[in-house]
Amino acid sequence: MSDKKFFVTRYKELGWEYEDVKPRQAIRINSINAKEVVVTKRLRSLGIKLGKIPFLKKGYWIRKSKFSVGATSEYLLGLYSIQEAAAQIPATLFTEPEDKMVLDACAAPGGKTVQLADLMRNIGVIIALDVRKRRLTALSNHLERCRVRNTIVYHMDVRQASMLKVKFDRILLDVPCSGNFVTDKDWFKKRTIKDVERNARLQREILTEAAKVLKDDGEIVYATCSLEPEENELNIDWATKNLNLQLEKISCHGEKALTNVFGKKLDSSIEHCRRIWPGQTQGFFICKLKKCGCVQ
Amino acid sequence: MKQIKNFVSRFQTRISLDKNLILKRRDTYFLLNDDLRRLISTDFFCAGTYLGKTRGGKFFPSFNLLRMIAGKKANKVIVDKKTEWLFICGRDIFKKGITGVMGSKRKDDYTLILNQHGECLGFGKILCNLDKAKDGVVIKNILDIGDFLRREKQHA
Repeated sequence: MSDKKFFVTRYKELGWEYEDVKPRQAIRINSINAKEVVVTKRLRSLGIKLGKIPFLKKGYWIRKSKFSVGATSEYLLGLYSIQEAAAQIPATLFTEPEDKMVLDACAAPGGKTVQLADLMRNIGVIIALDVRKRRLTALSNHLERCRVRNTIVYHMDVRQASMLKVKFDRILLDVPCSGNFVTDKDWFKKRTIKDVERNARLQREILTEAAKVLKDDGEIVYATCSLEPEENELNIDWATKNLNLQLEKISCHGEKALTNVFGKKLDSSIEHCRRIWPGQTQGFFICKLKKCGCVQ
Repeated sequence: MKQIKNFVSRFQTRISLDKNLILKRRDTYFLLNDDLRRLISTDFFCAGTYLGKTRGGKFFPSFNLLRMIAGKKANKVIVDKKTEWLFICGRDIFKKGITGVMGSKRKDDYTLILNQHGECLGFGKILCNLDKAKDGVVIKNILDIGDFLRREKQHA
């Protein structure tokens, strides 16, 4: 059993001092359905206090609300989505996603699928997969509420994505991961290093399949909400050495990822990844990959 | 396709749908575009614009379809802010909550329910002639966007 002390010690070794962080609610305006200024004005008129998230174009913190922001007419009409701030970053990293063939590999419950459709202005195609059938209903409801029109959803494990016989321009890998303590108060009680290792293996299998179905000039954005380097820097170091993928520089919230993990020196390009330690947001890890020879 | 047309006609309007782009999966209907049509395989879960489903011979529309009808000249009722919220909570509509009527005011006709911003909140059935009714419930709630919350609770 790996307890809280075990993980907190690891974080310290990686350069971060553990602190208790409370999750902050955030929303993202669905600009295909309404103008940002209109939605924020309507929410403010309901007495909801909003704060612009400085590192996001369409993201706002909910500073104060007397009722659930998931039960307003504006929410039910798809004018905004409730989406954690760090989780809003990955979809924004793709180059010109509009009119592209996009794979959302682990899509349910659909927050990022809706965001991709918004960024694509409902043009192009998103193929959204998820292996958990129960969660596909939540995904389809989310797509209907937010008026997404350019998506095909399959009940499928991304590790079988080759069966679709489609090559993708953009692939979002918001992979299943161990999560972090900010969004799960029992995280330290539940998680062991064995879980982390098991998830890391699954993530490598997903990366491998994604590399197969990626077009030569395509992009993969890989994201986890895990703080564990096995699921982040170590996996990406492995991917760049084994899958003919190269990291691209990204400009977004977060600090440079670790290039030295518990004494193991990683490729210097790993610093192009972004690691977000819990604070303003939950913990997060993000990077963007391209096939070798196609990095600009 | 016929069921969709019949449903739409109850709002005294028509919408043109390309039947080659409508896909039926079991009892559900989806409207695709050319790109989706070209790519889709038979085992999809959902795709494009969900239009509605049939159960026991009856058609249940999606909010996408209601929005498409709302974009046309059709039976519509505009309600005030308080009535908007009550309607979303599943309540019927009182005459005093109505601020505008377009199209039919006849008993038994279907009408879309719009808020002050012209956004479609759902639809209902007119219970009595809207001109003659003095007060009380005049439109029965059949479907409202609060359904999304009910679905979330159902699947939680």
